[in-house]
Amino acid sequence: MSAPRFATEAAQWAADVGAYVPFGMRRLGLGKAEEPLPRPADETALALHPRRMKLTLREVVVETASTRTLRLERTDGPLPPFEPGQYVNLFLTVDGVATSRPYSISSVPGAALLDLTVKEKPGGFVSSALVRAVPGAPFESTGPAGTFRHEPLLDGARVVFLAGGSGITPFMGMLRDQERRGWPLSTELLYGTRSDEDVIFGAELERMARATDRLHFTLIPSEPSPRWTGERGLLDASLLRRLVPDLSDRTFFVCGPAAMYDLCLLALRELGVPTQRVRCEAYGPPPDVTRVPGWPEHVPADREWRVAMEDGRSFAARAGEPLIWAMERHGVVVPALCRSGECSACRTRVLEGEVFSPPHARIRESDRGHGYVHACVAYPLSDLRVRL
Amino acid sequence: MDTRWDVIVVGAGLGGLSAAASLAKKGLKVLLLERHNVPGGYATSFVRGRYEFEVSLHELSGVGTAERHGPLYPYLEELGVARRVEFLPVHELYRCILPDLDVVVPVGMEASEEAICRAFPSEAPGIRRFLSRVHGLAEHLVSLEAELDGPLPFPSLVAKVASRPARLAGIARYLPATWGAVLARDVSDPKARAVLSQYWGYFGMAPSKVSFVYFAAAFHLYAKYGPVYVKGRSQALSNAFVAALEEHGGRARFNCGVARITAAGGRVTGVVTDAGEVLEAPRVVSNADPITTCRDLLGEAAPASFLRSLLRGRSVSPSTLNVYLGVACPPERLGLRHHENFVNTTGDFDGVWSRLRRVGPPETTLVTCYNSVDPAISPPGTTMVVLTALTGGDAWARLEPARYADEKRRVADAMLSAAEGIAPGLRANAEVVEVATPLTNMRYAGSPNGSIYGFDNQAHDHTVLRPGHRGPLPGLYFAGAWTQPGGGYEPCILSGRMAAGAVLADLVLPKAESRKSKAGTEAA
Repeated sequence: MSAPRFATEAAQWAADVGAYVPFGMRRLGLGKAEEPLPRPADETALALHPRRMKLTLREVVVETASTRTLRLERTDGPLPPFEPGQYVNLFLTVDGVATSRPYSISSVPGAALLDLTVKEKPGGFVSSALVRAVPGAPFESTGPAGTFRHEPLLDGARVVFLAGGSGITPFMGMLRDQERRGWPLSTELLYGTRSDEDVIFGAELERMARATDRLHFTLIPSEPSPRWTGERGLLDASLLRRLVPDLSDRTFFVCGPAAMYDLCLLALRELGVPTQRVRCEAYGPPPDVTRVPGWPEHVPADREWRVAMEDGRSFAARAGEPLIWAMERHGVVVPALCRSGECSACRTRVLEGEVFSPPHARIRESDRGHGYVHACVAYPLSDLRVRL
Repeated sequence: MDTRWDVIVVGAGLGGLSAAASLAKKGLKVLLLERHNVPGGYATSFVRGRYEFEVSLHELSGVGTAERHGPLYPYLEELGVARRVEFLPVHELYRCILPDLDVVVPVGMEASEEAICRAFPSEAPGIRRFLSRVHGLAEHLVSLEAELDGPLPFPSLVAKVASRPARLAGIARYLPATWGAVLARDVSDPKARAVLSQYWGYFGMAPSKVSFVYFAAAFHLYAKYGPVYVKGRSQALSNAFVAALEEHGGRARFNCGVARITAAGGRVTGVVTDAGEVLEAPRVVSNADPITTCRDLLGEAAPASFLRSLLRGRSVSPSTLNVYLGVACPPERLGLRHHENFVNTTGDFDGVWSRLRRVGPPETTLVTCYNSVDPAISPPGTTMVVLTALTGGDAWARLEPARYADEKRRVADAMLSAAEGIAPGLRANAEVVEVATPLTNMRYAGSPNGSIYGFDNQAHDHTVLRPGHRGPLPGLYFAGAWTQPGGGYEPCILSGRMAAGAVLADLVLPKAESRKSKAGTEAA
């Protein structure tokens, strides 16, 4: 470059600097008052979303012969705000096995204690231990999580709650919250149970429904006692059509056992309720995965496979059982949250072998391509090599 | 699990992923640790119901098409990332909607210029002059970079650039300039300026404050090569980096947060995980921001003066609000034909920026419809829409926890209404909605104030003027948006490459390392 041209460039540069940024450089380290450092991101976010909460059982409420409400106090900070309908995943050790189960919160946000209502399932590994817990027992849980909640941005003020058995618990949290806020929603609650006696929250629901005309409560036992004069049967299309007169402008919330989903979702489709008006709670792994469409017929549920963890541990796992169960039984600590396939906390890599992932498994598209599964709803179909 | 590594990378954001894959490719034994259960940082996705939502990627620059690769592509190819992902072309740069204007800016240097000139015929000569400055400068930068064999750490860059005075002059005169100031010289219609400045949100900085060089380089790369999206969402890109890392013998561990970076005798010795595991490595690359790295991970071991001088004259860039919508009707029914639709209530973007630091309805709502790029991104007959707005993270961080849910809904509601202006029926057909705020960013990415671009891209704090990749102690390095060259997908990937370059340079010349690290401290 010739000297004159360089001089021209330099002059142009000086002119541009002057024209473009008369004061642009003045803040470059020159006497600027320092802004306070931002708070650690963790500290701010953890007030709303604690990763773990230490809890102590303060009180056990007997709801029915097989159901208890555990009233828990958080001992390592205030309870975070949550949305009625959300759950926590409760960690505990049963018979030497460290595991966890998600339970819907049946208390309201802002209350001093966190209520989890647990029904003992026949042969239930965790629920049987939980209903026998005594005050003073320590627990640990995740922070509140889950998307089963009334969403005012979309859901409107007219709702139908379809509950089955212990699936009433998230609705109880929502209804108690509504009562506290003066019943902002018009709610139709259809509650399917086996019997009309010993109904979880039965008395409280009747009391609520008597006190407001914003809640209509119908109990629908499938095997009622001889004295029962009310509705009976299953939550099918004809019953819904009869009990919910204005189906078209309602949002439906469904929570109950797996069989109830099949029935209710079919009924709602028959009645022409659009998909976007139906919200379903995740409800654990399928009760019998061999009946899920796509299950390979030649693999019996009790077929055992060998699972080798990358760190050298190795154990047997049954085809019909979620992989996470076998892992936990053999001391593998698996991060878990929803235990229903949807949250991806237990994302696990299958390095070799084949697993069955039912539609419950909400696996990311690219994760599928790289061999990741959600261990809480992954079923071994061969010997496996696995990396957490 | 091995406890001794050549390099430990803390954090699997794009900067960390890129540094880790790059170092493993060079034959080092690399361990990548990530606190979350998936890699990517913001470059990730999540599933709700039958929808898998893109968390943050709108338009990826620098990749180009199969016929014409952009400057980032060879690096992705070399690492083995490119062959593991499919890039999908985005069909236009953006659609800019003002109260009385609606302009679509297409891909292509000429086509974009023509479209903007057509919208403002009387301003055409100024617009052409301005865009020729933009493309001229950027071409200059790209060719210089190619000549210099890729992005370089600041001192070597200065040395090399100094040996080419003609090139230096071509670039240096714009180095301290702002986009707004250069634009104001050539274009006078405020609406034309708004259309040309619409990408300001991609830098989180007011047009009158954002670096001209930075904006120009990005605008040029988008216009010339076209933006792309990634099949399988940004998660596919992040997963591809992990696969590339492992192909080269490295290891990634998830659900494995780092509690501390350890030091002894004035240099880094490794890390301790949240679970208390002690892992040794003479070199640690932190993809956590420098504030968290020094204050929380290094603690006492970090010289106090380092952070103070690093922060002087710098501020933290804004955060985002995102409303993720799964919509149970096809995009045509909503009238959404374009990918990136900016719905502005005003074209005064400097004013908008100055009002970002509050909790309230945004003045610009970006409506991104991913189906126009990838029709299969959501189930047949449905649409995936994400509404995005910038917001000051500090205001959200100060919000009382009990008010959080209500404020979040109030703001999301306003964004939905703004979006309905161009997509009627959006709300009525929405099946899934999820709202993310600066607190969500803090929760999942650990970024101070939920910042998305690291330090603000001010005219005096961009590319080579940003913090370098060497930390306060020998053996500690930084990668990510807070360092050179800056925030955004392509810059973060490049920052990882540059951090890896610094590690390798110090391995070759270990004697110079402590001197450089000290110099780095002073320069910052």
